[in-house]
Amino acid sequence: MVDIKSENLVKFNDRALTWQELTKYGQDRLGCTERFRGTRLIFAVSSEIDALSAFATGISADLDFGILDQSRINDALRAHLKDQAVQIIEYSDSSELREICIGSEVIPGRISVLTSGTTGLPKLIAHNIESLNTFERVRELDPNCWFLPYQAGSYAWYQMIALSLFVSGQDLAPGSSNDLVQSFDDSLSSRIVTAISSTPTFWRQVLMTIDPQKLLNAPIRTITLGGEIVDQAILDRLKYIFPRANIRHIYASSEAGAAIVVTDGRAGFDAALLDSRPERPIAVRIVDGRLQVRSRYGNTEAKNEWIETGDLVEQCGDRILFCGRTNNQLINVGGQKAYPALIEAHLLTHPDVVWARVTAKRAPMVGYLPSAEIVLNKAAGNLDAERHLTLFCAGNMPEYAIPRIWHFLDSVPINTSLKS
Amino acid sequence: MQRAEVLEIMNHVLDKRGRTRLSNEDQTTREANFRSLDFSEVALRIEAKIGRELVFDAATMRRIETIKDVLDFFETVTKS
Repeated sequence: MVDIKSENLVKFNDRALTWQELTKYGQDRLGCTERFRGTRLIFAVSSEIDALSAFATGISADLDFGILDQSRINDALRAHLKDQAVQIIEYSDSSELREICIGSEVIPGRISVLTSGTTGLPKLIAHNIESLNTFERVRELDPNCWFLPYQAGSYAWYQMIALSLFVSGQDLAPGSSNDLVQSFDDSLSSRIVTAISSTPTFWRQVLMTIDPQKLLNAPIRTITLGGEIVDQAILDRLKYIFPRANIRHIYASSEAGAAIVVTDGRAGFDAALLDSRPERPIAVRIVDGRLQVRSRYGNTEAKNEWIETGDLVEQCGDRILFCGRTNNQLINVGGQKAYPALIEAHLLTHPDVVWARVTAKRAPMVGYLPSAEIVLNKAAGNLDAERHLTLFCAGNMPEYAIPRIWHFLDSVPINTSLKS
Repeated sequence: MQRAEVLEIMNHVLDKRGRTRLSNEDQTTREANFRSLDFSEVALRIEAKIGRELVFDAATMRRIETIKDVLDFFETVTKS
């Protein structure tokens, strides 16, 4: 059994509770957990304290369960889970089990992670405490209080919970889903947060919103990035603002688990990691330009087999760079292939560009042309942005890859997974 | 669409790429450095402006050599 650091704290707005206290809170809320033993469960939660206490109680009782933010539940998801004999339990009102699902195979200790479902219905990915505890190799970590921005039930959220549960001195400060950036700002004001795990999109929002001087003075010691392609521009920007912070980016997915940790401050990862020898606990390889991962932290149904990640990669010298997703990230411009991720990465090196997204726009004659959505920082003023950025791209990428259509947005679009 | 409007769109496309604006309709597209991707972008912008897709006839397209041909082409297809 994994050793739980029950003394680590979770700091909510109005109180701080240890994991031991959260477990007690959950047990009081749920009552006798024996009644859940014969069912594969999803606890639907509507607050961070509910989410964390449900998780603590679920693992202490060795239930077959998962956590889901109440806001994600709709009729389609309800039916989808019912088809798989998964019971949704309203955590705030779990006094009795209604409409019990029959026929579910119950595996004590299984933790169901629901994918974001951006391309359809969410998938249930099976993990357990062992596969979520990717921190067993972390021998020492300075004490930290981590800002927790992720939506309850996402793989990144479980990762942060596992960090606090299994590594000494790792407290959490959950952000408010009503306004994450504001709650991060508040946590900087109270100076309780010393570490943060988040996405590049979240940071771009932060950099547009929070007073730069406040960021420069923040006691942030550790920054972890992931969930999206981590480009060189955001790494350099964060290094400039937090020169003493330990900045790393992590490649992970709910199916493959946490696989690659990069600490050298460069985008992509070292090509030397391409090593598929069976004795390696985590191995990566490239097949037809796609990244495959075999990890002991992958979902429990993968049984240590190679997992196709769906991520396109390209080797540039000693580096493997991410080029986007296989299903939607290639623009065919008259037979030439343009990669949005590489175009975005270049645009993001421009000092006035806060955020960029490049997509394919249907166009006469050539099939598709690259189209860019851009958020400029406030200092950009009356810059003739379209001309300026077009010239900024010229000479740095093939002519066909330079965006032809430009849309300038007022703010960074962000979804509940903190991605854009 | 008026010829002057098409010319303005073509110049916008050239201008933002740091190329010389068009001054002589008799120039060939090659001399004017007006490339197939520029042609496609102009067509896309015209489609957005008039709110419908343009119909391209391959034979007519093949005959385009000069800037005048391009202007004639867009003037015609936006009327039809």
